[in-house]
Amino acid sequence: MIAFENLEVRYAATAAPALKGLTLAIDRGIVGLLGPNGSGKSTLLKTLLGLLKPSRGSGTILGVALGAPESARLRSRIGYMPEYDALIEDASAYEQVAFWGELSGLAPEAARDRAHEVLYFVGLDESRYRPVSGYSTGMRQRVKLAQALVHSPELIFLDEPTNGLDPDGRRRMLDLVLRVHAELGTGVILASHLLGDVERVADQLVILDQGEIKAAGSMAGLRKALAKRVELRFLDPLDAAQEAALSELGTVLEARNGLYDLELAEADPAGAFRWAQGCGATLVQVTPRHDRLDEVLLRALHPDAVRGTGLRPTPPEPPRQDQAGPAPDSPPTNGSTAVGER
Amino acid sequence: MPIYAPTLPPAPDLHLGQPPALVLMRFDFSRLWRQKIGRFFGFAFLMMLLWKVARIYVDHLLHTNQAFKPMQDFAKTILTQGADFQADLLNPASYLLWFLVALVGGGLVARDTLYRVRPLMYAHPVAPKDYLLAKLGFASLLPFVILLPFALLPWLMSLLLAGAHGPVWVTAPLRLLPAMAISSLLMGSLAVGASSLAATPRAGIGWVLGLVLGLGTLASMLHGLTGTPSAQALNPIVLAETWPQLLVGVQRPLLPWLPTILGTALHISLWTFLAARRTRPSEAVI
Repeated sequence: MIAFENLEVRYAATAAPALKGLTLAIDRGIVGLLGPNGSGKSTLLKTLLGLLKPSRGSGTILGVALGAPESARLRSRIGYMPEYDALIEDASAYEQVAFWGELSGLAPEAARDRAHEVLYFVGLDESRYRPVSGYSTGMRQRVKLAQALVHSPELIFLDEPTNGLDPDGRRRMLDLVLRVHAELGTGVILASHLLGDVERVADQLVILDQGEIKAAGSMAGLRKALAKRVELRFLDPLDAAQEAALSELGTVLEARNGLYDLELAEADPAGAFRWAQGCGATLVQVTPRHDRLDEVLLRALHPDAVRGTGLRPTPPEPPRQDQAGPAPDSPPTNGSTAVGER
Repeated sequence: MPIYAPTLPPAPDLHLGQPPALVLMRFDFSRLWRQKIGRFFGFAFLMMLLWKVARIYVDHLLHTNQAFKPMQDFAKTILTQGADFQADLLNPASYLLWFLVALVGGGLVARDTLYRVRPLMYAHPVAPKDYLLAKLGFASLLPFVILLPFALLPWLMSLLLAGAHGPVWVTAPLRLLPAMAISSLLMGSLAVGASSLAATPRAGIGWVLGLVLGLGTLASMLHGLTGTPSAQALNPIVLAETWPQLLVGVQRPLLPWLPTILGTALHISLWTFLAARRTRPSEAVI
């Protein structure tokens, strides 16, 4: 779906690169794009939309080369939902969705029919004739999603689709995102700061910072890595020999007050009880650590800040010529990589 | 609680649509329709048009009805029927037309800036030249369409009442239509260029009016200081009024040919260039 190699983008010839030698291959699926402000997410989206030309490197999106003259036509195959309120306040949802449909290449009558269908799909059927200036935040987000879907794109970019939504609104929006991929077969690139959103819908993850890919991989691989992370509680403090023997179980990430954070060598936590029995320690509790996606992000952005996230603190690898990606269930890795299919 | 459709059918063919510039122009027209400013301007321009037509009818009566014979000498003082009369057909309260262009054109680009719609347009298959063409086309088409009945209706009425010997020349539209096109393009480009400088539609209106009146004042000052009448070529209002005079061959036009051509070319190219620079995709913040 998307592949680029050694991609570098500069806003001016003398300016520092906004994207520095990115190499990535993404298959159709829901890809979570994470990164702090100024990390290059928007620049990457602009480049993928053909609005910016790469200063170095190459890439393809939906089979069309980046920066090629056909990139304008390519945009009729892509939908884009911006983060900000790009709504025409004095127009109704129906009018503007039909307008965006026409701009994407639909005939006027077809665009009007399509606007009805897509507004019904996003749950705005009853209020489609009202000016959007009177809409709630959730409704406005759904209008933006509708305009991105009106021309049945093969790929959509969603930039912070749950911005400003309450928990129920977030759930509905994410359900829609899942439906878009599952029912329409549309590839989704979801840029978000909300890790919970990405975790819920994405099957692939790309972490960007300062114009570089800090980590990329499949969510399945990430979950598998996180499943190996446990917290062990012993009845009595371990002696020095027992603590040293803990490394047989896996990597000790942190030890505090009789609690040990470990990344187990094997996914089966029952091995921890067998180990305790063998060395005479009384293991009273094994707590899986599933809620650490935020640590994955922090670890990728600041390798020294957070310990133990499934990502090894390896230095970024140089771009590789043979882009054989990791297995679909492999954990995210630092540096350039490819992410697998859903 | 929203009701969701069970699914979304595939979209129809994407290759049957209209050119993006035309779609944008049509949408701008629907926006203008919603602004409901047509009542005042419609009434004002209609009254002016009726006045022009009435003058032609009165002229016809004076020539055909002997009862009006005593009024003929007086009428000749107000109905010149020469080149000045032809050129004057396109001069329906020039300031009012500029005001309308400012009111509509001032918001054309600024409204997209305010609502941040332009970056989203560029995320669709819309090239910057499509956007510029649409805005320039709409802002120029508006004054052209308003001026059209002023050029054609008196001519048609004169032709019906008095044939080739009426007060309006038979060839008048051939001279007036190009003048209208140039003046309208001048108005449109200035409005779009000024609007691209503004962040809100109201500011856009202010920019257009400020530029038109400010350039007029500057031109008058330069004229007064240097004693060069050609300095008025900086004044867009004077330029718009001069083109019909030049093309119908008025003996003493407001400006000669060369300053008019240079002034008009400078305005159109400057404001179009400015609008193009200010609406580039690289300016789009996604």
